Amino acid sequence: MLSLLLLIPFAGALLLAFWPGRPAEGRMRTVTLVVLGLQLAWSLVVLARFDPANSAMQLQESLPWVESLGLEYKLGVDGLSLPLVLINAALTLVSAICTRDIDKRPRVYFLLLLVISGSVNGAFLAENLLLFFLFYELELIPLWGLIAIWGGVNRAYAATKFLIFTAVSGMLILGAFLGLALLTGTADFSLTPITGERLAMGSQLLLLGALLIGFGIKVPLFPFHNWLPDAHTQASTPVSVLLAGVLLKLGTYGLLRFCMGLFPEAWALLAAGLAIWAAVSVLFGSLAAIAQTDMKRMVAYSSVGHMGYILLAAAAATPIAILGAVFQMVSHGLISALLFLLVGIVYRKTGTRDLTVLHGLLNPERGLPFTGTLMIVGVMASAGMPGMAGFISEFMVFRGSIGAFPFATLLSMVASGLTAVYFLLLVNRAFFGRLAVTPPIDPVAHGRLDVNLAAVAPRETIPAMALAVAVFAIGLLPYGLGRLSEAASTAMVQLPALAAAVYSGGLG
Amino acid sequence: MPIISAELVRSGGMPSAAELEASLLAGHTLLSNTAEHLIEVVDVLDSYGQVLDAYSKNLIFQAEQQFLLPFPLFKYLDGDKTVAKIWRHLNHDRINFEYAEYCMKAMLWHGTGGLDAYLDSEPFAANCRAIIGRKTRRDPLLALLHPVFRGFLIELIRTAATTSALGQFWRVMSDLFLDLAAAEAAGRISSIEAVVEFIKDGLVAAAGNPITYAVEIEGERMWVLPPEARLTFLADVAVPYVEAVFLRGLPFLGTVSFNAQAQQISPDQGQFAYGALYADPLPSMGAGIPPSLLMQDMYRHLPERLHQLYRQRGRGEGDVRVKICMSFQKSMFCVTNAAIRGTFPSPLGSGDPAEQAANRAYAAAWASRLAVARTDCLD
Repeated sequence: MLSLLLLIPFAGALLLAFWPGRPAEGRMRTVTLVVLGLQLAWSLVVLARFDPANSAMQLQESLPWVESLGLEYKLGVDGLSLPLVLINAALTLVSAICTRDIDKRPRVYFLLLLVISGSVNGAFLAENLLLFFLFYELELIPLWGLIAIWGGVNRAYAATKFLIFTAVSGMLILGAFLGLALLTGTADFSLTPITGERLAMGSQLLLLGALLIGFGIKVPLFPFHNWLPDAHTQASTPVSVLLAGVLLKLGTYGLLRFCMGLFPEAWALLAAGLAIWAAVSVLFGSLAAIAQTDMKRMVAYSSVGHMGYILLAAAAATPIAILGAVFQMVSHGLISALLFLLVGIVYRKTGTRDLTVLHGLLNPERGLPFTGTLMIVGVMASAGMPGMAGFISEFMVFRGSIGAFPFATLLSMVASGLTAVYFLLLVNRAFFGRLAVTPPIDPVAHGRLDVNLAAVAPRETIPAMALAVAVFAIGLLPYGLGRLSEAASTAMVQLPALAAAVYSGGLG
Repeated sequence: MPIISAELVRSGGMPSAAELEASLLAGHTLLSNTAEHLIEVVDVLDSYGQVLDAYSKNLIFQAEQQFLLPFPLFKYLDGDKTVAKIWRHLNHDRINFEYAEYCMKAMLWHGTGGLDAYLDSEPFAANCRAIIGRKTRRDPLLALLHPVFRGFLIELIRTAATTSALGQFWRVMSDLFLDLAAAEAAGRISSIEAVVEFIKDGLVAAAGNPITYAVEIEGERMWVLPPEARLTFLADVAVPYVEAVFLRGLPFLGTVSFNAQAQQISPDQGQFAYGALYADPLPSMGAGIPPSLLMQDMYRHLPERLHQLYRQRGRGEGDVRVKICMSFQKSMFCVTNAAIRGTFPSPLGSGDPAEQAANRAYAAAWASRLAVARTDCLD
């Protein structure tokens, strides 16, 4: 059953690869949309079959592969991975829908999109460390291609930077997995937690450190975030949607599943430091976002900040915090995808994302009023306004973390307030005032400009509207997602607590 | 710095005061003579003429039938209180008479010219005393209000007088603009120069028309603006109207707010530049006269030829009110142009140095004010 979540996108990619002749871009797009629609539908079937009360891996499938290496094709889904599988299906579909006017090689473009989606599903569903790593690496090259071929003017620089950073990330993760086998003396790459009986704490800390840096690059967390703003700035809108909405979640998923899940004792030992790291990352992301004048870089830095909440929640490791982390992954996926879509519309219509140049885009007749309205919804959601997804997730993260790490949580709350600062700066500069797309050097001439922006067709905003509806839906009715992940997040929490107790001799 | 496509932004020319003065003295039109400008000006004035007709009738109705009514709930219905009319009004299927009232208030507040002078005169005060005396005899609310607030009813009468005067002014202008459209349709107008001349002739012909206003109270006809006041169309109403509505306007009701304490608004009312000739066609509205209400009204009466032209430009129907406002400003520059021509102290061709100097001073005064108006629409 779960294999179909891999099979559908990969088969779709093969279909595109071997499609006879030189099919038009429209046909490639239609085929991709059908494939991704099927993937979403099947993800919903999986959701229907999923038992939320069961915290263990479900719907498992297993097939021996290279047993001598410990590589096993083993898939399973739980309350942590299922929301991410769903958001992967939804956001890849959104990416394909908002892909328009591919000027070169549409076949390759859509093929890479499908490979990424299939690989991400594989990574979220893998129950074997090496299998996870294979899929983790498999999405790397297609994404590099999407930035390097269809990106902006500095795409080569951004794509290479992305490749170097994530290759190092991959090497560290693989190194940690292989080190685990080496140090424990078994080729067991299952998700079984490592305890002190199997591995000395020093070795655990070493391996956990490698994994933390590896996934910290992917999340990204300060100071490993450097590749993200460049990648976003040069990537096209659909790729940014995918990058922010789905691919960054591989990092946070890795933190929860592998760092916290495999090394609960070492995790508990490092928790206080990790909480401070999270707070620093959150504060840095927010302060850096305030300094940006490029809308896309601002949203990218906001991602750096908002991803830090997940590390904070994971460090606190309380049931509410972990549930909040799952909520944050989903809500950040939706909100950042929404913001990137809207920035993309602004860029397509005005030719710029420069906040020193854009003004008054809310103008009802000549501006982009509906886009602006959705942008206000998006930034409110990102700033954690009640009634929207951002509030639920941030509230749960803070509520779950403040008891364990009050100082780090308070710093993160300050940074949450800073979200409102930089996003209000964005909205105020770009959407309020007199409509203009020129720097206001001469106020008189500035006030006289006749601005002729092309209107935004309703179909262009449909994906963004769908995301905005989802943001409200989760904000107003969080019960569904909560029920889906509660059992799994509670079970995860017991690992570090148990390990901490063992480590301190509490259970002795 | 990003490179902005030239297709996205267009910056119209900004002629200097000297250029405008030279143009006025040479007898040139302010608006350049193009076929598209002609269609825009004639058709938008055709639409404006129909809107002014409705404004004029309503203002005169208000002045005569709603006089000193403390709660004029049905003042926009022109006396038609049928359910269908009330429903259309509430459903906003109607003309925005609020714009007409706004212009009246601008005239009343700026208070320039002969009408304002008369409203502060003793004969007017005497008329008011007579009217209030008669009115309060049968109206207990007004009888109670008047002794407590001595200036209140007088101010209401001043408002009613200005309302009537503006209604009478717009009656003339409405007919003039509709005649212009008919003349163009008949082939008698084919250039911007001819448009300006037509309007100038109309203004000059109506210049001496008397402006009078009387109300009927308990069967007795009582003068508010009697013929003895000798108020005339051009000097006492048209010129103050241009001053208040075209030029000065009010720094309110826009979406841009001003801080008066920071001197963002001139303490000298005469220096105000928030009128129709300065209004930003984009609906963020610099301030002052809210053109969007008028544009909405003109949109209801837009001739098909101009509507077709708008559909081919910019966002088509999507930004039609902005385009109407741009055309309206072009037409208002033509009306201003005609008014300036009609009020030069001496003929433009005069050889007398003193007369030439007077004309130059007159043109320079206008040019200095127009130089900071939205002249970007002229080329």
